[in-house]
Amino acid sequence: MSYTITEKCNGCDACTKFCPVDAISGERKQLHTIDGALCIECGACGRICPEGAMKDAGGGICVMIKHSQWPKPVFDKKICTSCNICIESCPVNCLALSGAQSRKNPHGYPYIHNAKACIGCGFCARECPVDAVAMAGG
Amino acid sequence: MNRGYMGKILNVNLGTGAIAEEVIPDELYENYLAGMGLAAFLLYNRIPAGADPLGPDNILGFLPGLLTGTGSFFTGRWMVAGKSPLTGGWGDANCGGQFAPAIKRCGYDGIFFKGISPKPVYLFVRNGKAELRDASGLWGKDAVETENMLLRESGKNARVACIGPAGEKLSFISGISTDRGRLAARSGLGAVMGAKKLKAVVLSGAKRIPVSNPQEMKKLSKACNKWVQFQPPFVSGPMTAKVGALLRIMPTQMAQDGMLFKIILRKWGTACMNQMSIEMGDSPIKNWTGSNKDFGVEKSRATNPDAIIERETIKYHCYSCPLGCGGICTMKGEYTETHKPEYETVLALGGLCMNDDVESLFQMNEILNRAGMDTISAGSTVAFVIECYEKGIITKEDTGGLELKWGNSVAMKELVKKMIAREGIGDLLADGSKFAAERIGRNAIQCAMHAGGQDLPMHDSRNDPGYALHYSVEPTPGRHTIGAQLYYEMYQLWRRVKGIPKPKLFYHKNVKYDPADKATRAAACSKFMNVVNGAGLCMFSAFIGVHRLPIFEWLNAATGWNKTPNDYMETGARIQTLRQAFNIKHGLTPKSFVVPDRVLGREPLVEGANKGRSVAIEPMMRDYWRLFGWDEGTGVPKAESMQQLGIEAK
Repeated sequence: MSYTITEKCNGCDACTKFCPVDAISGERKQLHTIDGALCIECGACGRICPEGAMKDAGGGICVMIKHSQWPKPVFDKKICTSCNICIESCPVNCLALSGAQSRKNPHGYPYIHNAKACIGCGFCARECPVDAVAMAGG
Repeated sequence: MNRGYMGKILNVNLGTGAIAEEVIPDELYENYLAGMGLAAFLLYNRIPAGADPLGPDNILGFLPGLLTGTGSFFTGRWMVAGKSPLTGGWGDANCGGQFAPAIKRCGYDGIFFKGISPKPVYLFVRNGKAELRDASGLWGKDAVETENMLLRESGKNARVACIGPAGEKLSFISGISTDRGRLAARSGLGAVMGAKKLKAVVLSGAKRIPVSNPQEMKKLSKACNKWVQFQPPFVSGPMTAKVGALLRIMPTQMAQDGMLFKIILRKWGTACMNQMSIEMGDSPIKNWTGSNKDFGVEKSRATNPDAIIERETIKYHCYSCPLGCGGICTMKGEYTETHKPEYETVLALGGLCMNDDVESLFQMNEILNRAGMDTISAGSTVAFVIECYEKGIITKEDTGGLELKWGNSVAMKELVKKMIAREGIGDLLADGSKFAAERIGRNAIQCAMHAGGQDLPMHDSRNDPGYALHYSVEPTPGRHTIGAQLYYEMYQLWRRVKGIPKPKLFYHKNVKYDPADKATRAAACSKFMNVVNGAGLCMFSAFIGVHRLPIFEWLNAATGWNKTPNDYMETGARIQTLRQAFNIKHGLTPKSFVVPDRVLGREPLVEGANKGRSVAIEPMMRDYWRLFGWDEGTGVPKAESMQQLGIEAK
């Protein structure tokens, strides 16, 4: 399954800049297309498209959300197991592991090290096996 | 289809530069899982009989497990498989780190290389595009330098597996490194990569890994995690030696619940065993001729687990591991940082060589990791050559002036460097103790502690005869990561699998040496570990028992299958038989894998923890082979057994 682009697309290129897997192609000011084999359904294109030209995998029209209001992950250290799943799940590499908490607790914990890069996809929250990540804001 | 696996592999021909995807039918996953099983099926069918392990016909595969990236825990292990130059047969090596999910994120359940590249190259995969890139500038660099350079070039979200100088120089004891020095170390597969002129594999993908029942996966993972997080305060580091001594002195022992091991593993990593194992008789000392009497608490004190984690700056978790047995340590000297040395490394370069210089252990750990050389085989080979030197089989002239006496850590470090560079005597030793002994002649083979060419790990079979059996009968011989009597107790398979025995809670130690019934346990361990390696799980996680680690349930929830634990055990038997058939296809004689007499306690030790102990291996091997439907005299899988398992003989 994949996101698709409707004829409303005006070729503004906003989506191509945000697509983390280079799945969107098209000339500027021309109708763009999404390569279904590459699309990971992160939804970034749907959130950024000012024309409402994106359809999600279920066929629903995506609604634009102001970039500053995209949801961001929040981590609950009390539940987190430092297992790296969230960090690895991130398609834009915006998470990192901190240094050791203390001598007594020598584990590192995930945090957003590059908030600007975050596309609010929520894969980190979805993949966390113990639900230690929640998406907030937006 | 949401089945936890990707349904595709990538085939790379390094000779022609051709790169092509291949769809793998669902049936293959149902019969063989992914990881070890998928590798066994493809390599058995595709590597021609008699292929040169270092030639173009050998195929080298990199594989994650079926459960990797599915929301299950402990599934960050990846597998390398190919024909081993070390044993001449089936070769596999296993490693953690963050590389396993990267293979799946690129869309593959395996990446397979055949042919030989005319010049050094690395494979780069990103967003559906795969290409071979020039690696001339990387050739000669160590594993850490190589990884750093590739990450600078490819972006930090890339994951790297690469060889160091040992693999480039075709050392038969070289491995493949990831995450700056974690090694898929065994079976000499670094040399296969080196022979193919493949310096590295660099992966950067973001594909989703769909599972059949994500809610159930999470539910299972949460329940499992409760056991992992259960961490009562336990003994102190120096106390572990006393526990080991107590285990030695008692005439009886108790069936082990792996939760105890889990607790000390989480606290210290495998360093938890550094002193305890010596004291209880689990660690071979002085190239298997000594005991705790020769390398007592005073000598091992500097490696006690508290002392090791004093140097730890942060715990290291492999992908999807909630436990975190690894660590990053600081040290003084040539290198200032290293992965926390594993128990195997500390003992192979420590007690096995009578070396109590802890600084040298940390340095040699980093030197070998960077070179991409197996620390177990390197340590065992150093112990071998020290014994040869002490016995006068080789002289100072042969060693290039090195005074190779027991415990001479300065000479050991020099020797290790020579082995990596294949300089002087190092060239002779760079392929492990068996090949070295053949080159030296003069009965040096008496000092080589190997199985089928693979140097033996740091678990003494005179303490647990299960190790001797697995070292000798596994298609990948000389491995401690499959089974033992202890492992059988900890896996607790009888709680899920029908028809296998539950061990007594207390038993006299003599029971361990009675061969009756032991092969049944070993066969169960072998089958189970093939499932674990097909799923991509960590062996340490399996130690907490299958009633706490829901491997069978995870597999069903990820794939949508409805298999029973016994069904999965049959899959394990199928994989084991296929790996054995691989060895037969390539002309190996299973009997040739039997460990040396010394390892079996023939003559028995006269003092120490394993005093007077010897292992009756022959009846256990016969039983083991029979249980798998292999000829009990030769270990060759019978045609009807192959047929029953649906294996087409090649």
